[in-house]
Amino acid sequence: MDRHSIEKRLNDQKDLLSNLVKKAKSNGIDQVEIYSSYGYSEDVSLEKNDLNNCTATEENMFGIRVIAEGNQGFIISNHIPSLYESIEEAYSLAKSQSTPDFDLCLPDPETIRAVFNQYDDSLDKLGIEDLVASAKEALGWRNDLYSKVNIDSGDFSLSKGYKLIVSSKGVMAHELGAELSASVMGMGVDGDLVGSFDYDSASGFNKDQFQTLWKKAFLNFGDKCMGALYAKPISGFQGKVLLPPDAVYSFFLGLFIGSLNGTSLRKGKSKMAGKLGEKVASSLLSIWDDPTNSGLMGSTGFDREGLPTARKPVLTEGVLNTYFYNTYEAKKAGLPKSNGSATGGAQSLPGCGPKQLQIAPGTSSKDEFFKLPGRTLFVNRISGTKDGASGDFSGVIKGGYVLENGAKIPVREVQIVGNAFDALNQIEAISKEGELLGESSFVPYMLLDGFTITGVTEN
Amino acid sequence: MRDLLKECLGEESGFVELRYHHKESRSFFAERGRVESTALRKRTGVGVRVLEAGTWGFASTSEISKFSIQNAIQVAKKAARLSSALRKDKIPNLPKANFAIGDFIGKGIEDFRGRSVEEKLKLVLDIQNAAAKQSAKLQSVGCGYSEIYEEKAIVTTDGADSFFTMVRPEFRVSAVAKEDGKMESGSHSIGVTGGWDCLFRSQSPTEISDEACKTAVDLLSSILPDGGLSTVILSPSIVGLLVHEAIGHTVEADFVLSGSVAQGKIGHRVGSDLVTLCDSGYSEYYEGAGGSIPVDDEGVIPTNTVIIKNGILSSYLHNRETAERFGVAPTGSARAWEYGDVPLIRMRNTFLMPGDSSLEEMIANTKDGYYLDGAKNGQADATGEFMFAVQKAYRIQNGKITDLLKGVTVSGLAFDVLQNVDMVSKEFKWDLGSGHCGKGQPAKVDAGGPYVRTKVLLGGK
Repeated sequence: MDRHSIEKRLNDQKDLLSNLVKKAKSNGIDQVEIYSSYGYSEDVSLEKNDLNNCTATEENMFGIRVIAEGNQGFIISNHIPSLYESIEEAYSLAKSQSTPDFDLCLPDPETIRAVFNQYDDSLDKLGIEDLVASAKEALGWRNDLYSKVNIDSGDFSLSKGYKLIVSSKGVMAHELGAELSASVMGMGVDGDLVGSFDYDSASGFNKDQFQTLWKKAFLNFGDKCMGALYAKPISGFQGKVLLPPDAVYSFFLGLFIGSLNGTSLRKGKSKMAGKLGEKVASSLLSIWDDPTNSGLMGSTGFDREGLPTARKPVLTEGVLNTYFYNTYEAKKAGLPKSNGSATGGAQSLPGCGPKQLQIAPGTSSKDEFFKLPGRTLFVNRISGTKDGASGDFSGVIKGGYVLENGAKIPVREVQIVGNAFDALNQIEAISKEGELLGESSFVPYMLLDGFTITGVTEN
Repeated sequence: MRDLLKECLGEESGFVELRYHHKESRSFFAERGRVESTALRKRTGVGVRVLEAGTWGFASTSEISKFSIQNAIQVAKKAARLSSALRKDKIPNLPKANFAIGDFIGKGIEDFRGRSVEEKLKLVLDIQNAAAKQSAKLQSVGCGYSEIYEEKAIVTTDGADSFFTMVRPEFRVSAVAKEDGKMESGSHSIGVTGGWDCLFRSQSPTEISDEACKTAVDLLSSILPDGGLSTVILSPSIVGLLVHEAIGHTVEADFVLSGSVAQGKIGHRVGSDLVTLCDSGYSEYYEGAGGSIPVDDEGVIPTNTVIIKNGILSSYLHNRETAERFGVAPTGSARAWEYGDVPLIRMRNTFLMPGDSSLEEMIANTKDGYYLDGAKNGQADATGEFMFAVQKAYRIQNGKITDLLKGVTVSGLAFDVLQNVDMVSKEFKWDLGSGHCGKGQPAKVDAGGPYVRTKVLLGGK
């Protein structure tokens, strides 16, 4: 599968979907939207320090949304010959409902300002042989550098495809994409000693970019597994936690960002309701959403509803600037239109959320965080739970360390409990260094104070 | 479908496995007095797996035709040949298995087909409307009904030849309560393999809704428990989470081969005498467990696998490849979520066998501890260290339940927790049928058991 054949398929599908939408309109179905997601991928998987499986998969999924008299029906299908029947079925689902809301309608088209070419033609020269070679290289790194690290699973993927949206309101947008990616998961094992799981991943637009990032990710994975291998239980304490970029993004900030979702706000489930323009976090924290940077992996010119994306400030020195809206939620909030923040793909109805968050770097040096006086818990990862409404989170620390007087002591059986909204004001320092997570979101290190750490040994 | 697949195998001489999978997922959700979403997801295709030159190759197609399926066989073979040079540990062959042959039609399918969309929409709307009026503190109540209907046909060159169907309905209510700027949430959900009557057999939709709303409101006045190592009585849903997360994952044979804590422990004591742990493709004790399967995704009839017998580790969970490596019979534990997924070793219905005590006796015998109820989520590690999140923790003091506390995460080392089991109830319940397990791909599973007393690390203030 190469760019030429993917483009041909895309162009044929534009015609097919446009004709289906026209046919629906002529049959009295006025509001139809079809979101198509096509992907072809070749994958090589690892298991137990060995190659496991080679696969080739291809699929086209269609998300069909029909709105009729204020009600909505949604069908997801991968069967092209019966797409028109699916439109009728979505219409029938909408008609069976008895709770209309006339704010529910498809958006009018807008000009897409940022046009992306995220398909590097050089990937067409690669195939499953190259993935096998990458797998062989990674197994070599494991053998040479990390013989005590067991690779439980790993995956190398070359994927290509497109997304396309067509609606009866005249929305028509598409983007092609292709990438190389890899991930690895495993743990350190030394005799009867087994360490915590860890993982890492990388992706790239082309082979050179991928190889550089993948080697860095693999070495990071190996170091994390080895670091967790000789972990010991500790006693509990009250104090500071140091979060690396992964932990900042996945656990701590996730709850806050979720509370800016237009749906949560409308349903009264968000603690951030009514706080626009207010200071809700430490002045050290500034965040913005930018899906328009062409150098980043997740950039896109349009959202799940085919509306243009844009850079927008979210939090400026702790002051809340915006919420995230799709067309429906914007109407419910009394706004003239959405802010291009519809999320999802062919397999989901449009949600609300950011596309590509960026967190402003701070002024501290991350190395200084590791030399702090007293006890600090370095939280590599939290395996736990979080509650969107209250903001409460709790979990077990994985691959963590206690930093004490310059020493780095790996720990296990340690739990942390906190509240994300309170934690926004517990930020003591942010590093100037950070990482580009998933090659898309810049996230620095953060030092927070005032946490309860539970351990299993006595003081 | 079996005939088409057999025709596609034609004169193939090596190992080829064809798995047709048609899946329909329907969901209906109501909140704030209206139907918020209705969705139908249909996905159909054939997954092709071959064993060629000692290596697996896999391809899939959504086009159900002889040409496409045979083309996928060739793509899978090419993939296997390309990778064979790298694979060190070749798979010589696959063991014989108790293959499923014939049609296996699941219970409840006519029931779910006979009920209209309108009836399902009315259910979620009526329950949501009634629940929202229960308390002025309820900020929002959401009610959802969903069902997954599946048809599969599995044919292999070495003897599997089956067609089977099943339906898995689920019902869930989530509530958010607010007072003085504080917000708390409560949720309750059920899920079964079977029809509508099976779904609501032990609890009505109203009772499920009442429980979720009461939890959200009650938690408004709760505080965090004291953190630390504590004696706990676990409800069947929490026992289900414990045995699934803490033990089940460590005994999946692929994970064992990667070095999990269960490696080399067959025949060793890993729990107290009171602990007998099983994982079954059937629904033991009563019908409808959410992870039941008539046939696994390698075409093998699933067994009831006794993992731990009276505290001694006795078996891992196997697919055909790991059964060959360990020299045992496959347990029928190979499962794939979609046609485009490769089957992995997965749990089905994991449960601890009941004991002789009653819950009443267990509480009365606990001087200082907690009763934990309401499973949320959980994860396990290669070390056997696990965490699971609970919704509610009740303080037990001098043999009596006292205050409701916020549930937090609970953690421990799997085998330590089993060694510390000192009371097991005679009451039994499946209670995780609305859950999904994640391991690269989702799987419908269930888990449960009796009430159990042990020691765990409780996160807290």
